[in-house]
Amino acid sequence: MTDSTRVRLSLAPTVIPPMSAKACCHTVADQTAGTTEPVVALVGAPNTGKSTLFNGLTGSRVTMGNWPGTTVEVSRGVWRTTLESPTCHCEDCSCADAESPLAITLLDLPGAYSLDAHSPDEQLTRGLLQDGTADERPDLCVVTVDASRLAHGLYLVSQIRELPLRVVVAVTMSDVAAQRGVSVDTVLLSQALGCPVVATDPRRRTGLAALATAVRTTLTDPAPAPRSVPASDDTLVIDDDRFTWLSAAAAQATVVPGHDRLTLSDKVDRWVTAPVAGPLIFLAVMWAVFQVTTTVAAPLQDALDRFFSGPVSHAVVSLLTLAHLNGSWVEGLLVNGLVAGVGMLLTFVPLMALMFVLLALLEDSGYLARAAVVTDRLMRTMGLPGRAFLPLVVGFGCNVPAISATRILPDARQRLLTVLLVPFTSCSARLTVFVMLGSVFFGANAGTAVFGMYVSSVALVVLVGLLLRRTLWRTMGAEPLIIDLPAYHVPTLRLTAAVVWQRLRGFLKTASGIIVITVCAVWVLQAIPTTGGEGFGHVPVENSVYGVVARSISPAFAPAGFDQWQTASALIVGFVAKEAVISSWAQTYATEQPQPGQAGLLGDHIQAAFQQSSGGHPLPAVLAFMVFLLAYTPCVATLAAQRREVGLRWTLFGVGMQLVTAWLLAVAVFQVGRLFW
Amino acid sequence: MSGPLHLVLAEITAGTPTLAEIARRTGLTDDVVHAAVDHLVRAGRVTSTELSLGCPTGGCGTCPSSDGCSLPAALGARRPGLVSLSLATRVA
Repeated sequence: MTDSTRVRLSLAPTVIPPMSAKACCHTVADQTAGTTEPVVALVGAPNTGKSTLFNGLTGSRVTMGNWPGTTVEVSRGVWRTTLESPTCHCEDCSCADAESPLAITLLDLPGAYSLDAHSPDEQLTRGLLQDGTADERPDLCVVTVDASRLAHGLYLVSQIRELPLRVVVAVTMSDVAAQRGVSVDTVLLSQALGCPVVATDPRRRTGLAALATAVRTTLTDPAPAPRSVPASDDTLVIDDDRFTWLSAAAAQATVVPGHDRLTLSDKVDRWVTAPVAGPLIFLAVMWAVFQVTTTVAAPLQDALDRFFSGPVSHAVVSLLTLAHLNGSWVEGLLVNGLVAGVGMLLTFVPLMALMFVLLALLEDSGYLARAAVVTDRLMRTMGLPGRAFLPLVVGFGCNVPAISATRILPDARQRLLTVLLVPFTSCSARLTVFVMLGSVFFGANAGTAVFGMYVSSVALVVLVGLLLRRTLWRTMGAEPLIIDLPAYHVPTLRLTAAVVWQRLRGFLKTASGIIVITVCAVWVLQAIPTTGGEGFGHVPVENSVYGVVARSISPAFAPAGFDQWQTASALIVGFVAKEAVISSWAQTYATEQPQPGQAGLLGDHIQAAFQQSSGGHPLPAVLAFMVFLLAYTPCVATLAAQRREVGLRWTLFGVGMQLVTAWLLAVAVFQVGRLFW
Repeated sequence: MSGPLHLVLAEITAGTPTLAEIARRTGLTDDVVHAAVDHLVRAGRVTSTELSLGCPTGGCGTCPSSDGCSLPAALGARRPGLVSLSLATRVA
């Protein structure tokens, strides 16, 4: 039998007029207890088992769930109570028969953390319990409190205890608390709160009779004197008084694992978030990630490279031959453009997949959150705004959303500074270039080379940030920031696989989208002759528009050791997107050696180019190139985002600053490096 | 005034990096510290932002991380993540 009826209350969005709990019960529907029967309101924070308890007490079936905001309606039912042990034993007693069932109208109010009316649910609860007159209020409140999060629930209890209301506290989820080593003594808690406290488990239907007894007993007593609160206009003072009261009650009634009983998570955190050991551990972990990635993925990458430059290219040529298109510009576009350029980028799929797997495992396990603490501390040690750490961390994934994320900074100068710093964070697009150059020039130490670029990226952010703060933004103060660390988890295969696939799909989307367009544009520029006598698509690359423009720019990189038009052209194309650096290289060298299978490994060409341009110092030259790549403008999408956030003037200032920084650093790296290598 | 809320606010202002560290420094239990922070967030005195180390939004077309970060939530399998808390500007 269902003894409940749902009542949907219409709420004004902002102002809740005083309402009557009793009128609500006695004017709606017909399945209420009698009009003289007591009304009990069931209140509590979301996810404390309130709705489950309501169902257990009334036998009704209402929507229940384990997610916040489930209880958006006020449910009402009849709770037929009996006493566990009658309190009255008079033989000819004329008082109410304690042993007879007593029907109570039970209201299931929406989940509310407090009576502060921060949400419509809290406005409703406040309207029913606090703003109405004594006749309009329920006769008693049962407050559900989660034993595993006692302090959270006791705030609402503290507020209700300030009202002239009878209160019974129902402690739920004691089993969850027990799993965490926490136990609640209901007797001590009752003494501390000044109201009955009953442990219940609505899911197992235990403690319900004890709750009924406590409620019926309390109903026979007058409402207790409200707890006094300090007279103050400052709500923080009043709230703090409540917290002092509830923390004392929780401390008195709760047995928790001692502070000296550290969990494994605590022990690990003491090391990984320590001021000195934390950064060292973080650096070691990231070095291992890059080293494992480059070592494991290298054979797969080589195999894919041979696959695209061999069978795939030959197959395309064969097909074009069948279509009588061999030797035409179509073959040039398909073989030397798309297959060479996009194919080279696709050889990075195993590497990116492995990298995403390792980073997803670190993130899902909770370790990267600890690394964030370390990074944040570094930022604040350097005097940079703590909150600026957030978009900068995002920037290591992609600079564009990182620039959008600067909106969380309340101060315009902080936003501007952070927008200017974000491009120095090494996004994953640059990773592909670093990995390729690392593999070509540093062999087994490729991971260390890539790792060095990430460390350089952090150093660049800090140093440029300090430089700007000491010059343009000297008066900007750092804001405090605190991080709530998630618990460590064993990574799940499903979540890790899903995240990796989603990110890998983004990489493939890039390769099939903007890179294809860029490859086509580069091919067209490489096909347009600058001198007479050469036709479209039949011009040596160095004589094409592409080659001529690149050759006019490349001398600027002579002091940095990479005065090669092929290298300079890759940097120009890299303005579009950093992945295009690789595709344009592959395209250029494939076009120079137009027969499939004769192009040779791209790495050999690049090595020869740096050897020649550096005067026999290829390692410092390639390091200088990598530093330049790290420091100059990431991509056009980043520029668009910067313009949107800080305007054209500051965007141009940023581009200029990045180019100057990149060039100066590259020159410094090469000129110093050539002394040693 | 040295109630739990003031103690927690003072630690946030001082730049204490984690809630666990706040609990250690103030002598409050983890439960009370979390309850205090939740209350301060609801009251608008502290702002709370969930972080992702990848793209929090759509990202851009050239980004391998593009739109890859809302996935766990979409799967309904998202675990508690990294949350940053900072003082709201209304607090002096």
